[in-house]
Amino acid sequence: MTRARSDEVYVVGCGMHPFGRDETVTGMDMAERAVREALRDAGVAWADIGYAAGGSDVSGKPDTMVGRLGLTGVPFVNVQNGCATGASTVLAVANALRAGEAALGLAVGFDKHGRGAFNASPARYGLGDWYAETGMMLTTQFFALKTRRYLHEHGISERALAMAAARAFRNGSEHPMAWRRKPLTVQEILDSAEVSPPLTQYMFCSPGQGAVALVLALGDRAFDLCERPVRLASVALRTRRFGSFEVFAPWLPPGPHRSPTVDAAEAVFRAADVRPADVQVAQVQDTDSGSELIHLAETGLCGHGEQEELLAAGETDPTGRLPVNTDGGCLAGGEPVGASGLRQFHEVVRQLQGRAPGAQVPGGPRVGFTHVYGAPGISACSVLTV
Amino acid sequence: MTTGTNRSTATNRAIATDTAAVATEATGAGSAAGATRLVDDGLFADVAPPRLAGARCSGCGTVVFPRQESCPQCSGGTMTAHVLPVRGRVWSWTLQAFPPKPPYRPPAEGYRPYHVGYVDLGEVLVEARLEVPRADIRIGLEVRLITVPAYLDEDGTQVLTFAFEPDPEGER
Repeated sequence: MTRARSDEVYVVGCGMHPFGRDETVTGMDMAERAVREALRDAGVAWADIGYAAGGSDVSGKPDTMVGRLGLTGVPFVNVQNGCATGASTVLAVANALRAGEAALGLAVGFDKHGRGAFNASPARYGLGDWYAETGMMLTTQFFALKTRRYLHEHGISERALAMAAARAFRNGSEHPMAWRRKPLTVQEILDSAEVSPPLTQYMFCSPGQGAVALVLALGDRAFDLCERPVRLASVALRTRRFGSFEVFAPWLPPGPHRSPTVDAAEAVFRAADVRPADVQVAQVQDTDSGSELIHLAETGLCGHGEQEELLAAGETDPTGRLPVNTDGGCLAGGEPVGASGLRQFHEVVRQLQGRAPGAQVPGGPRVGFTHVYGAPGISACSVLTV
Repeated sequence: MTTGTNRSTATNRAIATDTAAVATEATGAGSAAGATRLVDDGLFADVAPPRLAGARCSGCGTVVFPRQESCPQCSGGTMTAHVLPVRGRVWSWTLQAFPPKPPYRPPAEGYRPYHVGYVDLGEVLVEARLEVPRADIRIGLEVRLITVPAYLDEDGTQVLTFAFEPDPEGER
């Protein structure tokens, strides 16, 4: 799909509050800092923003931050869309800019979660109390069950799970805004506490905290503001169709089980007129190492069953053919739900601009990709180019 | 390594056999120590031996569990009660190796790691507790439906849920 440059939306500034744990700040404090950094990065003032969208799962109504940033009367949409919250804010702002609402927009996401695994209420998911009472309502079980089946069907060893996590922590160790910055060996990861086999403690990300903001601009305005604007070639958001294997499912139909990731990825590559093989830096949802392996294939970035070989050959390292989660992903960053998707954008934008905060992909990458996936069966993907 | 199985097959069988009688006694007589109830009556078509209550779409044949009023596949047909097969094969499995937060309710003797998985019943895959020792558990293992104690009500009533155990009549 070709658009006139005047209809293209670009990322012209980004800001990020470090991920991890910091008891001295609230979710909204982090969001405010990320927004101010993004505005400074773009060289614009809050009063210049003509349209805003913000997302948080548990840390407050995003639009209330106008009280901190300035009561300019700006339209501000609140988004609460699970793991796709960040991509949904970008989609809302990009569509508003293209529709002529404004020339400059802001997307922000933040969250600050309590410690430990996410705790879900059965009623909120349309399930009877029995499901949680009998100990089946845990996201960690779902990821383990899906991973176990995937490894079985595609002949992948449990060692591949540890290799993916080791790469995440290696990348995280170089990234100033990552939470987990201690590199771990494959053996240390395999030997860590069993959570839900085949997944061990260090193969899972933890709920955490953080905030990210992006300034987006339409057409020529982007080039006036930014030396190297990053084009938002496409964004696609999809919900599940019948037969997808999702969290909190007391039953599944007989396979094949098609994920919303497949639909979102196909749509985003088609719209951007880019092939998965063209991607030079990718961010895929790695709630756990199994999810990363599954998503690499579901997005089309590699074939089913090829993951172990790619990992072993270092091809997903920053210096490899397909650099994946160069900032350490969710595994090293933790998962503040509202901020996690925008973290991916932040990393890919900085990589394409040649100013990655951590390990920079060499050779001037020009095509980047982001992917999120979450409950209750949603996925969002984007293609970014320079 | 601990395994999730802390109850013997013999015990499971005894509880399953007793369920109907005890559940009947418990009804009307009020709950008391020694009485049992099902964790959710709507999940079961029968108790001795246990059968799970699903529903089948008249339009596309999709089988769901638990029962629901509309078909998630075709939205067209009507859903009728459908008793699920009692035998199947483990489709995937894992171990719950840490105690879940509430509203999980641990058994009377306290939380112990337990196995969960999906069992392929042919027409549908059902998620369930798996009463299978770690050494034996694997994808493809033939299993059959049982009931197991889940937790105690405050008045001491034993609450039963469904699970699968290795099928003694299955292939080795």
